Amino acid sequence: MSHILTMTYLPKRLVIEAAVAETALVRRILACYGDVPIAWVEKVAEDESALSDGQTLEVVGFPGRFVKSCPGTRSHLCCGYQILHLGTQCSLGCTYCILQAYLSGRNLRLFANLGDMWLELREHLGSSPRRVHRLGTGEFMDSLLLDPVTHLSRELIPFFAGQPRAVLELKTKTANVELLEGLSHGGRTIVAWSLNPQDLIRSEEPGAADLEARLAAARRCQEWGYRLAFHFDPLIAYPNWRQGYAAVVNRLGAMVDPGRIAWISLGTLRFMPALKEIIRRRHGGSALLHEEFVPGLDGKLRYFRDLRVEMYRHLSTLLRRLSRDLLIYLCMESEDVWREALGFSPVERGGLSAMLDGSV
Amino acid sequence: MAEPHLEPIPFAAIDWQDTSSLITYGPLPDILRRSVQAVGLLQIPMLQGKPEGGFRVVSGSRRLLVCRELGLEPVTCQILDASVLPGACLRFAVYDNVATRLLNPVEKSLVLAKMLAFLPQPQVVEEFMPLLALEPSVTLLSRYLELLRLEKDMLDALADGRLHERTASALAPLEPADRRSLFALFGEFAFSVSVQQEIIELAVEIGEREGMPPAEVLEADAIAALRRERRRPTRHRAEEIRRYLQGRRAPRLTARRERFLRETQELGLPSGVRLISPPNFEGPQWRLECIFQRGQDLAHILRTVSGIAAQPEFQRVLEGCPISSP
Repeated sequence: MSHILTMTYLPKRLVIEAAVAETALVRRILACYGDVPIAWVEKVAEDESALSDGQTLEVVGFPGRFVKSCPGTRSHLCCGYQILHLGTQCSLGCTYCILQAYLSGRNLRLFANLGDMWLELREHLGSSPRRVHRLGTGEFMDSLLLDPVTHLSRELIPFFAGQPRAVLELKTKTANVELLEGLSHGGRTIVAWSLNPQDLIRSEEPGAADLEARLAAARRCQEWGYRLAFHFDPLIAYPNWRQGYAAVVNRLGAMVDPGRIAWISLGTLRFMPALKEIIRRRHGGSALLHEEFVPGLDGKLRYFRDLRVEMYRHLSTLLRRLSRDLLIYLCMESEDVWREALGFSPVERGGLSAMLDGSV
Repeated sequence: MAEPHLEPIPFAAIDWQDTSSLITYGPLPDILRRSVQAVGLLQIPMLQGKPEGGFRVVSGSRRLLVCRELGLEPVTCQILDASVLPGACLRFAVYDNVATRLLNPVEKSLVLAKMLAFLPQPQVVEEFMPLLALEPSVTLLSRYLELLRLEKDMLDALADGRLHERTASALAPLEPADRRSLFALFGEFAFSVSVQQEIIELAVEIGEREGMPPAEVLEADAIAALRRERRRPTRHRAEEIRRYLQGRRAPRLTARRERFLRETQELGLPSGVRLISPPNFEGPQWRLECIFQRGQDLAHILRTVSGIAAQPEFQRVLEGCPISSP
């Protein structure tokens, strides 16, 4: 039987900056992790964090921007996603995770100066009230991994319910949705899952919820009135990938109503060259690197384009069988790959950003 | 502790087996031999008296070896007291050497490894890596320490410049049999340093995917046949070995490249005109290279190319078509 229990993240240490000691987030963290040793520090040193073992939860004051644009590249069509930056790192241990190369520290880090975050978010949404804002918290962390501890969903979801031109996307590989029940979401929160075949989840996403648990959580959210999104990203080529992904799409169709799906993204495995060595060192048994990779237009290593196109075509064909109306998009691909894989370019439809905005 | 003093030392009194302070590695330089022959020993070697009698070399081992080779005995040496700690002796040796010459990569590795026995890592990184003209970095330190895993013939090659440091660093983490196999290949074919690294990576990645050690990858019939064909120029065979490995590692890209070449040949482009695909067929930017001498030649070429570009075969070359997964 697959588990649908809330996954718990239990750090071995807490390191908390004194400046955020009195914040509500820290109070909740302390209430939850009462037995975990705590170090109170003036400032979490970046050097220490870089040598970290990933077992420490760092709670800090964040001096930077809480709202930022997703780092697209000129050579690829970008979806115009905006990041609501609430913390960094993840403990799910996915072998392919780009954060391993992108972030110097391995510890999870939460930003506790949420008062600053709210100010900035309100200002951001208020500064361009006619624009559609698609914001997500799942770029540098899993959106719901620490939700049972932080309860941030209980603040964010009602806030977005009152935003007529903005949606919040909570992207996760967990089944941590308990706190989403009963919230007044006003249809302005989309709960999203990354999906992969169960055999890949076992080998490449060891700390994440299994496929059935993710889909069961998605079904619960759907029952609570939320719209859903799914990300087949990274799509991974392995010996039985066609059958593997077909099985996932079948289960998806069986578990959720395609009419409640806001969008589905497809993106094949890609990574900065530096990640290759990290994957070898940390996940020696992983077969991820067995496929052939070429440097893409953005310098990241990707599958050779013929394989990417083949995977996108296969997935989009499977998904269209669930519903012809599904909004399927490619993440970080060039216009020519769009045409070859899906038969059109978003440019013909007003741009990818506009396509997604239309679904909000 | 007694002050260092000068003393003529017979070679028999030197314990040549005691290498605790030794950081030199590699053949004796001929220039040193000629220098000693011409003007004698200009810089006095440093020894330390051993409690059980005799002396260990602290610094100047190569000078002493040259003197021994030339039969210049006894040699006046500076003698350190036996109470001077080994870490301090090593420090003398390092500073004495770096003041007069650039150490080779094996010697740098030896300095770092030996210093770590006496000093904490941060001090070794901060004090000794810059001294050795290295960036003070823990990652780089690990890479230098790993070089000492190499077998003697590889260390010799690294010390005398036949094996590049970058190649040595790529070989060091491998199993001894794999290192030997690759090192032998590099001895046979003059690959550039970047191609050597590419070949190591290809052999490792093919091995990982196919479940065999890199040495076995290099035993492929195609490579063995190329190694035997000694009548053909080495450069051509080296390139074919590289292409064979690339093709085995990246069959899709290779197949697409081959198909592209075949199809462009069939297009019948005029002589001197070459269609160039985007790197790795990524992106929409194709290039057409055209060599001509006169304006009328160019006009003729452009008319011909324009006709070809209108053909469906040309469009097919640009689009390609997906290959099924193996």
